[in-house]
Amino acid sequence: MKGEAASTNMSQSATDFEAMVAGGAAAPVAAAGEPQERFVSEPSYMPPQPDEPVRRTLLMQAFVDTFTRRGARLGAAWIAIVVFFAVFAPFLASSFPVAMQMRDGRWLFPLFRNLYPIDVVLVAVFFSVLGIALSRRLGLGASVMAVVAMSALVTLLAFWLTNPPKNIVYEEYRVQQAAGEITRAYHTLIPYSANDRMNDRPEDRLQAPSRVHWLGTTIFGEDMLSRMIHACRVALTIGLIATGISALIGIIVGGVMGYFAGTIDLMGMRILEIIQSIPRLILLLIITASFGRSIYLMMIVIGLVSWTGDARFIRAEFLKLRKQDFVQAGIAAGLPLRSILFKHMLPNGIAPVLVDASFGIAGAILLESTLSFLGLGLAPEDPSWGQLLNQARSGGTGFNWWIATFPGMAIFLTVFAYILIGEAMRDALDPKLLKRD
Amino acid sequence: MAQPLLEIKNLNVAFETSRGDIRPVRDASLTIYPGQTVALVGESGCGKSVTAMSILRLIPSPPGKVLGGQINFSGRDLLALSEKEMRSVRGKDIAMIFQEPMTSLNPVYTIGDQIVEAITLHQGVGSRKAYEIAEQSLRDVGIADPHRRLHSYPHEMSGGMRQRVMIAMALSCQPKLLIADEPTTALDVTIQAQILELLRKLQRERGMAILLITHDLGVVAENADVVAVMYASRIVEVATVERLFDKPMHPYTEGLFRSVPKLGADVQRLDTIAGTVPNPARFPSGCKFHPRCHRSHQLAASAPAEQVVEIASSGQKLKVLKRCTVDEPIAREIEPKHWAACHQITGYDSAALTMTSLMHKREVNANVIESDSRDAGKVIQEAVT
Repeated sequence: MKGEAASTNMSQSATDFEAMVAGGAAAPVAAAGEPQERFVSEPSYMPPQPDEPVRRTLLMQAFVDTFTRRGARLGAAWIAIVVFFAVFAPFLASSFPVAMQMRDGRWLFPLFRNLYPIDVVLVAVFFSVLGIALSRRLGLGASVMAVVAMSALVTLLAFWLTNPPKNIVYEEYRVQQAAGEITRAYHTLIPYSANDRMNDRPEDRLQAPSRVHWLGTTIFGEDMLSRMIHACRVALTIGLIATGISALIGIIVGGVMGYFAGTIDLMGMRILEIIQSIPRLILLLIITASFGRSIYLMMIVIGLVSWTGDARFIRAEFLKLRKQDFVQAGIAAGLPLRSILFKHMLPNGIAPVLVDASFGIAGAILLESTLSFLGLGLAPEDPSWGQLLNQARSGGTGFNWWIATFPGMAIFLTVFAYILIGEAMRDALDPKLLKRD
Repeated sequence: MAQPLLEIKNLNVAFETSRGDIRPVRDASLTIYPGQTVALVGESGCGKSVTAMSILRLIPSPPGKVLGGQINFSGRDLLALSEKEMRSVRGKDIAMIFQEPMTSLNPVYTIGDQIVEAITLHQGVGSRKAYEIAEQSLRDVGIADPHRRLHSYPHEMSGGMRQRVMIAMALSCQPKLLIADEPTTALDVTIQAQILELLRKLQRERGMAILLITHDLGVVAENADVVAVMYASRIVEVATVERLFDKPMHPYTEGLFRSVPKLGADVQRLDTIAGTVPNPARFPSGCKFHPRCHRSHQLAASAPAEQVVEIASSGQKLKVLKRCTVDEPIAREIEPKHWAACHQITGYDSAALTMTSLMHKREVNANVIESDSRDAGKVIQEAVT
């Protein structure tokens, strides 16, 4: 075969870089010495050698650049704290003792008996992500696969293992301890659950911060700090899921508009303008009023109405990219449309959407807080920062500063953190600012 | 007689604009035989790239549309295929390399990933096997240490290296026809020579046909078997490379050759073709070359007054033959195996309108050149010692 013969010739001169560069295809034909099997028997594909310099794609480089900025680091630090609280909420604040000894000498672990599947899943996923990220042994794709597989397994196990009681009496153990039935008990850092209304201690309602309740209590007697810690979950999920939905829709719609241009673009833009003119808050009010309060419904509705910005960004990028040579080369190589749109064009045009998404998360958190503040957000027993704010003015007890200040600070800091990250990402991706050193 | 690999018959392409249709390609006919290199030569904007793009049906539509004609490739009319069938032709049977290697590779993927994607798509092999093929094709185009290079990103390579990668990618699926759209324009001269030598070598080894689009006559002389000259949307002259360089017939081709610098010739200024390339939206009537045609101008000077008209071209008043402004010539076979489109060539009116089909392969091949240069080296060595 001609190809094989050529390869043998090339293989011998391949060691001589100078000759290759200078001679190109006309590289000197070495005498046939090496057996031809050399290249057949050698495993032709191996992962890159560890001694090679670190190579990063443009997106990875932008990611690294983003988090070398101080603002983004501060923002990421705050988000990390919120994530930590969200994951470990039941282990930080719970009315159930971690371990306790009954009068007859038995040891019991009520905290673990009262865990929900989601609590177990979050902790397990958190540690598996952390472990895989720190070991750095797997590639990006393999890591994602490992995390997904681990999560699925843990979720199954969690539903099988956990079996929380249907009727929870939060004060049960406090009462038993006071009666002397429990001789020794070890509690979590904050010994109150988010929904523990202190039915045994009615005098604890609406207390200002004290040594017992570090951030005070609500009008129902719930511990503020515990409630704020448990509210981290809502704050994180509403932002991520709503923004995820909007980014997904925005990328698909914007990508199709930008790639096909012409009539499809014209029609798409008009539909987009119609959706953009829907007042979001009023739509959400109408939906919660008619379908009831649900955090999932809220996430979906926020996602469904806020994709227009992402679609505009992606459309503009794709209009620019579709004329690029590598896209034309991809079409000329016979690649299918799906590959051209999402494999070749998207990674080159996703940057503005990533920036927009971090602002979008902040916006979704604010929107949820607004709704909850208006009393139309989550159900009263689901903890959320906006819902706590609502309590600051309701109940006819005047202005309770601790109920307003702490959740307000939490909302402010979280929104600010996402905006800091978004700003840093925009700077990192801005080619005009790239020439720094 | 072998069957032609590609046969373009009377291809007409139009672009719809708000100010009427633009016709960048009119009645283009071209035949390519297996293993042949056909050069399509012409100025910027004469329609050569549009012709090449329409072979792969890469013309954006709208605004572009093919008004008529046939593009037969191995017996199939490419213009009649569905978009899905066309996708299996692109990259597999007909591959294309572009002018600008710096931007023809996707910056976010390694070159290995990009080559492998096309291989797995067209050859239906697993990714491990595809990496082997990709490494082999990088080796074939003379990239040093192809195994490591598979994991390089395009920005880590020079222009010449990237063009080699583009060629490796185009040839990894063993296409029967390679369309090279000005493959060396963006490269410096030494790299140009290497890339063209590489293309010749790969063509010899694999017997594929090349449609070489260029405006560089040196590239044509070195590589082409058959040359088609294009001017303002029409193919005006077709001949074998030897014949065309020996005896150009069309005044535009003559002008092109006069404007090439020659070794040994002592001239103050190079000849140019007077005037400018016509705007495709406002082509002149009749022969599109008549405002710039020296032959028409010269003949008009001595022709009877009723055969001459005066035209205004780029601010100047010029006398040209009336026939040239009215009647548009079509390429006819004026001498055997030599087509040209000009009324003023002796024998044009009686020449036959035949399909421009030339099964010609140039005599010179690279082996001869190599042995020549080796001999030359010996001579020089002897002279030194």
